[in-house]
Amino acid sequence: MKSEEDLLRALADHDRELEAGAEVETRVLFEFRRRRKRRSLALTGWFLCAAAALIAGFFIERGRIVPPVEQIVEQVQSPVVAAPEPSVVAAVPVHKVQRARPAAPREIVTEFFPLTDVAIPFERGELLRVTLPASAMRSVGLPVNEDRLNERVQADVLVGEEGRARAIRFVRFDQ
Amino acid sequence: MMATDPELLERALAGQEQAFAELYRRRQGGVYRFALQMTGSVVVAEDVTQETFLTLLTRGSKYDAARGTVSAFLYGIARNLLLRRLERDPGTELEDFAGAEDVLEDLTRRESIELVRRAVLSLPGPFREVVVLCDLQDCSYEEAAAALDCPLGTVRSRLNRGRSMLARKLRGVTSKVVRSIV
Repeated sequence: MKSEEDLLRALADHDRELEAGAEVETRVLFEFRRRRKRRSLALTGWFLCAAAALIAGFFIERGRIVPPVEQIVEQVQSPVVAAPEPSVVAAVPVHKVQRARPAAPREIVTEFFPLTDVAIPFERGELLRVTLPASAMRSVGLPVNEDRLNERVQADVLVGEEGRARAIRFVRFDQ
Repeated sequence: MMATDPELLERALAGQEQAFAELYRRRQGGVYRFALQMTGSVVVAEDVTQETFLTLLTRGSKYDAARGTVSAFLYGIARNLLLRRLERDPGTELEDFAGAEDVLEDLTRRESIELVRRAVLSLPGPFREVVVLCDLQDCSYEEAAAALDCPLGTVRSRLNRGRSMLARKLRGVTSKVVRSIV
């Protein structure tokens, strides 16, 4: 029916220039910035937590390390107790010190995703390996299954010499 | 060279505001008009437009270029938001259009257009959305199918049925009226 088509065409033409008001754009962009800031803060928070966990882990692990044989020998040979044959040396589990480590799995990394809004000149910094929830990958736009959001993933955080996290990449291990 | 919609979406999801703003400016009109033509309410249309683009930020990573355009993806988000809103508040949907012939006696151009709008709004949801997308938004059948997440054949059949229903509702519109608004 021609007239019905014409009527629809007239309505389409009439509405063609209609757009959402400028205040909608303002609200949308405001919310975009707010979410980006929140994401950046969350990433920084995760990074700080992960760094704290790493440091704590380092010190805990350090407390467990068996001192090398030479150190024990030195301690025992010190003149506190003048024993001719320090029995402690024999008690040191030598096989533990010499234990061969399994071959490290191959790492596969993503590209770096910037964590700063503007590109700050980068001269020197450090790359820190951290562990994060998989949901952090979403915050840089990488797809993650809903049911795996709470899994832990490893990431490298590039930290500038001023201490700010500049970029992040995610790491997967291929066995 | 102008960035494509998928490129802008990818950059927006990585946190680039400029890309997000450009994508918004490029596509907000279509989303707004779709919501307006589906509900007849400026307020609802603006809300849905805003929510559509914010949803894009969280669900945008699900976009698959093989399944359709970014535009169709946005229509799909807007449609889901509209359906949810209609479920929550059925009163948003306008009542059935009736008694058109009496009203058509001295129509101005604007009134005629509003009459057609009301006729479209009175179509049942599944038919209205295909008429709005294909006849008012100039979407291809493929785009409409992607937006509505249904087969191409369903789009065609709903469109035919929707147009027939519309023709019946507009039966009272005389050629004089058509001339006045075309």
